[in-house]
Amino acid sequence: MRSRRVAGAIGALWWGLSVACLVAAIALLLSIFAFVALRGLPALRPQLFFTVTHGIAGGLANAIAGTFLLVASGLLLVIVVGIGSALWTVEYASPRAQRLMRFTIDVLSGVPSIVVGYFLYVALVEGLGWGFSLLAGALALAIFMLPYVSRAADLALSTVPREMREGAVALGARPATVVFTIAFPWALPGILTGLLIATGIGLGETAPLIYTAGWSNYMPTLALTHEPVGYLTYVVWTYISQPFAKSHALAYAAAALLMILVFGTNLVARGFVEYRFPRSQRIH
Amino acid sequence: MIAKPWRIQRVGAQAVLRTVTITMAAVSFAVIFLMLAFLVIYAYPAIRFNGLGFLTGTIWNIGNQYGSGSVSHNGYAAMPGAQFGALVFIYGTLMTSGLTMVFAVPFAILVALALVYRVHPALKPLANALVELMSGIPSVVYGLWGMIVLVPWISNSVGPFAEAHLGFIPFVGGGAGSGDGLLAATFILVLMVTPIMVATIRDVIQSQSETIFEASMALGSTTWQAVTRGVLPSVRAGILGSLLIAFGRALGETMAVLMVCGGAINIFPHNLFQPVNTIAAVIVSQLESALTDSSGMAQRSLAELAVVLFVITLSVNVVARTVLRGTDRDGNRA
Amino acid sequence: MRKTLALTLAALCALGTAGQALAATRLLETGSSLLYPLLNIWVAAYQKNDHAVQITTQSTGSGTGISQAISGVAQIGASDAYMPDGAMKSTPMLNIPLAISAQQINYNIPGLNNVHLNFSGPVLAGIYSGKIRYWNDSAIKAMNHDVAGKLPHQPIVPIHRTDGSGDTFIFSQYLSKSTPSWANGPGFGTTISWPGVSNAVGANGNPGMVQTCKHTRYSIAYIGVSFLNETNKAGLGYAALKNRDGHYVLPTAANIHAAAASMVGHTPKDDRISLVFAPGANSYPIINYEYAIVNPKQGNATVANSLKAFLNWAISANGGQQAHFLDAVHFLPLPGPVIAKSKAQIESIR
Repeated sequence: MRSRRVAGAIGALWWGLSVACLVAAIALLLSIFAFVALRGLPALRPQLFFTVTHGIAGGLANAIAGTFLLVASGLLLVIVVGIGSALWTVEYASPRAQRLMRFTIDVLSGVPSIVVGYFLYVALVEGLGWGFSLLAGALALAIFMLPYVSRAADLALSTVPREMREGAVALGARPATVVFTIAFPWALPGILTGLLIATGIGLGETAPLIYTAGWSNYMPTLALTHEPVGYLTYVVWTYISQPFAKSHALAYAAAALLMILVFGTNLVARGFVEYRFPRSQRIH
Repeated sequence: MIAKPWRIQRVGAQAVLRTVTITMAAVSFAVIFLMLAFLVIYAYPAIRFNGLGFLTGTIWNIGNQYGSGSVSHNGYAAMPGAQFGALVFIYGTLMTSGLTMVFAVPFAILVALALVYRVHPALKPLANALVELMSGIPSVVYGLWGMIVLVPWISNSVGPFAEAHLGFIPFVGGGAGSGDGLLAATFILVLMVTPIMVATIRDVIQSQSETIFEASMALGSTTWQAVTRGVLPSVRAGILGSLLIAFGRALGETMAVLMVCGGAINIFPHNLFQPVNTIAAVIVSQLESALTDSSGMAQRSLAELAVVLFVITLSVNVVARTVLRGTDRDGNRA
Repeated sequence: MRKTLALTLAALCALGTAGQALAATRLLETGSSLLYPLLNIWVAAYQKNDHAVQITTQSTGSGTGISQAISGVAQIGASDAYMPDGAMKSTPMLNIPLAISAQQINYNIPGLNNVHLNFSGPVLAGIYSGKIRYWNDSAIKAMNHDVAGKLPHQPIVPIHRTDGSGDTFIFSQYLSKSTPSWANGPGFGTTISWPGVSNAVGANGNPGMVQTCKHTRYSIAYIGVSFLNETNKAGLGYAALKNRDGHYVLPTAANIHAAAASMVGHTPKDDRISLVFAPGANSYPIINYEYAIVNPKQGNATVANSLKAFLNWAISANGGQQAHFLDAVHFLPLPGPVIAKSKAQIESIR
C-alpha cells in the first residue's frame, strides 16, 4: 500500500513536470508572438504597402509583391508535378513502387534548404547565367513545396471510396474519366489543404532564396531571369542588423506581416481539414 | 464498328495519363539524384584538393587573394595558403543538433503526454492548434527573437549566473561573452524542433495506446506507470522516428542558427556560451567570401560542405523513415 | 485553382510594372556596406534628375561586390578594396575611386567609452590572434597611462567580419604592415582566416559590427567611418591609432586628409593602391579609396551610357563629391588628380 502511495506521489510529480513543460512551451510561443506583435504591429503602417524599400528603410511593397510572386510561381511549378506524382502513386504504382515513391517524397522533404539554394545558385544563377532571378527563386521554393503538395494529394486521393470508383466504372466511365470526374473532386479539399500548407512553407523560407532570388529594391517584373526579386524574409534578416531604428522597425514590420500571412494560410488550411477530413487523415 | 476507335481512345487516354503522371513522379527522384550528382561533380576538384584533411582539418582558409602564385594538390590549384578543414563546422553541426535532441526529446515527450492526458478536452483543440502554429513560425522570426531577446539574456543573465554558481560543471563555466554561441543556437533549435516532435508523438500515442493505457490501469498501475511502462514502450518506434526527423531538421536549419551562433571560425567552443558554426550557416555566411577566390576552390569546397551535410541528413532521414514505416502510416509526418 | 493562380500572378505582375517607366534602365549596385550609406544618398539625389535609370543598392560586402561585378550579376561592385593582381589578370576590371574613407577601431568598455584609447598595430594583432586576452593586459596599459588603472580584468571579445569585406582588407593590411608576425600569419585580404580565438564573434557587414559591438560588453571592432554617427549613437568609444611615424592619431578629417595627401602622388593610372599606414606625422593609418568595380565591357550601349552618366556624376565636384553628400558619411572628396584618373577610366566603359 505504501509503495503504491509512493508511486502515486512520483507519478504526480512527473505529471506536474509534464504539465509545466506544456505551459513553458506555450508561454515561449506566446512570448514570441507578443514580441513580434508588440514591435511589429506598431511599425506596420499603411504606407509600407505602397512604397518600396529604399535606403535604410522605406516600405515593403516590393518585398510583399516579390513574396507573392515567388510563392505563386513556385506553386505553379509544383502543382502539376506534385499532383501528377501523387496520382501515379495512387492510381498506377505497384505497392512496392508506392512505398518507394512515398519514401522518396519524405526524403526530399528532409533535404536542408541551404543545400537546395546552393545547388541552384551554382547550377542556374552562375552556371546557366540566369543571375538572381524569379525563376531560380521559384524553382528553389518549388523543390521545397513538392513534398507537401504531393503528400497531401496522395493522402487525399487515397481516401476516394472504392465504391465510388467501381460505381463509375460500372456505369461505363473510362478510367481516365474516373480520375477527373470522381477522384479529383473528392480529393480537392485535401489537395487544396496541401497547397495552402505549401504556401505557408514558401512564405517563410529564406535560406534557399538568398542566393537564388537575390534581392531588389524595386517592384518585381515578369522577367523570369536576370532580374532579382525582393521578399519579406530577406528584410527581417538584413534590416535587423542595421544600426538604425528605422531599419529595425521595417524588419519587425516584415516579421509581423510574415507571421500574419503564414498563420492566415495555416488557419485556412486547418479550416479545410476540420471541414472535410477526420483527424487521422491530416497532413502537416 | 464504333467500338474500335472508342477502345483505342480509351486505352490512349489511360496510357497518356499514366505516362504523364509517371514522369511527374520521376521528378522527385530526379531532383534528389541531380542535386547530389551535381554537387559531387562540382565539388570534385575540392574533394581531390582537400583529400581526407577536409574531414579532419580545423583551419578554413580560402587563401590569400593578394598573394602571388598558388598551391596545388593532386593537380588542382587554389590560392596561396588555402586550406579547407571542415571539422569545426561538422563538429558544430553535430554538437548543436545533438545537444538539441538531449533537451528536445524529454521536453517533447512530456509536452505530448500533457497534451494527451492532462489537457481538458474542451481546451485540446486550442492547445493542439498552438503547437501546430509553433511549427509554422518562419525560421527568420525565430532568429529575430533569438538575436533581440535570447542572446542579450544569455549574455547578461544566464552566462554570469552560470559562471558564478555552476562554474564547477565542465563546459559551463568561463563566461558568456557576447551571448551568441552554442547555447543560443541550441535553445532556438529546441524551440524549432519541439513542435514537430510533439505533433508526431501525440499522434502515435493517440492512435495506438488507448487499449494499452486501459490495460495497464486495470492491472493496478498509477496513470504515470501506465504511461511509462505501457504506452511509451509501445510507441517507441514512433518516438524514435520523430526524433530522427527532428534531428534531420536541426542539422539542416540555417537562418535561425546563423543569426545566433556567433560565426566561429578555426576554433571549437570551450564552453556552452562560446561561438559555434554549423555547415548550413557557413555556406550562407562564407559564400560571398568564397566568390572572391579566383581559383574557384573556395566555392567548390563549400559545395563539398553541402555534400557532407546532404549525406548526413539523407542518412538520418532514410533511417528515420525506415523506422517510421515499420509502425504505421499515420506516424509518418514531417 | 490554376486559373486563379495564373490570374493572381498576372495581377501581381501588372502591379509590379504599374507606375514605372517600362523603358527604365536598371542598374544593380552591390558590395561594400561602408559605401552603402553614401550610395543611398547619391542614388536618391541622382534619380531626381535622371528618371530613365533605376539603381538598386545592396549592402552585401566588398567580396560580393567584386565577384558579382565580374560575373555580370551587378553593374557596379562597391568595394573598399582594389582588386588583386591575379583576378585582374584573368578578368580585367576598372577600379574607379569614388571617395576617400577611413576606418575606426571601436570598443565597448563600460565606463571607458568616452575616452579615446590608444592602440598600435601589434597590440591589435595580439588581440585578434588571442595573445592579448584581457583589457588590463600590460601591453594595452603601456600605451594608455592615463586610464591604465581603469582598464578592467575582463576578457576581450574581438569582433570580425564574416562576409568578404574591404574593411577586413584595410584592417588586416594595417596589421600586416605594422606587425611582421601578422604579415607572415593571417596576412591581409577581403577574407582572412582569423586565428582561432575562443571569444571571437563574427558579424555581417558594418551594420552587424555596430550592432554586435553595441550589444557586447568588452568587445572591440573595426568599423568604417561612414558608420561614425551610428557608433557614436550606440555609445561606443573609438581609438587613436599609432601611425607609421609613431604618433597616436584620431580619425579626424584633418588626419585623414594628411594621410591621403601623402599618397595621392603615388596613385597609379589604374588607381589600385593601398593608402594604409601612410607616412607623415599626422597621417591616420587606416584610410582607403572607396572603389566602384566595373566591367569595361558592358555589352549593352544603354546600360553602358547610364552607368557612365551615373559614375561621372558621382565623381564630379558639383555632383556626388559635394560636401553635403560626403560629410553625411564622413568621407573625404577625391583629390583633383585622382578625379582625372577616375574620369579616364569611366570613359573606357563600352
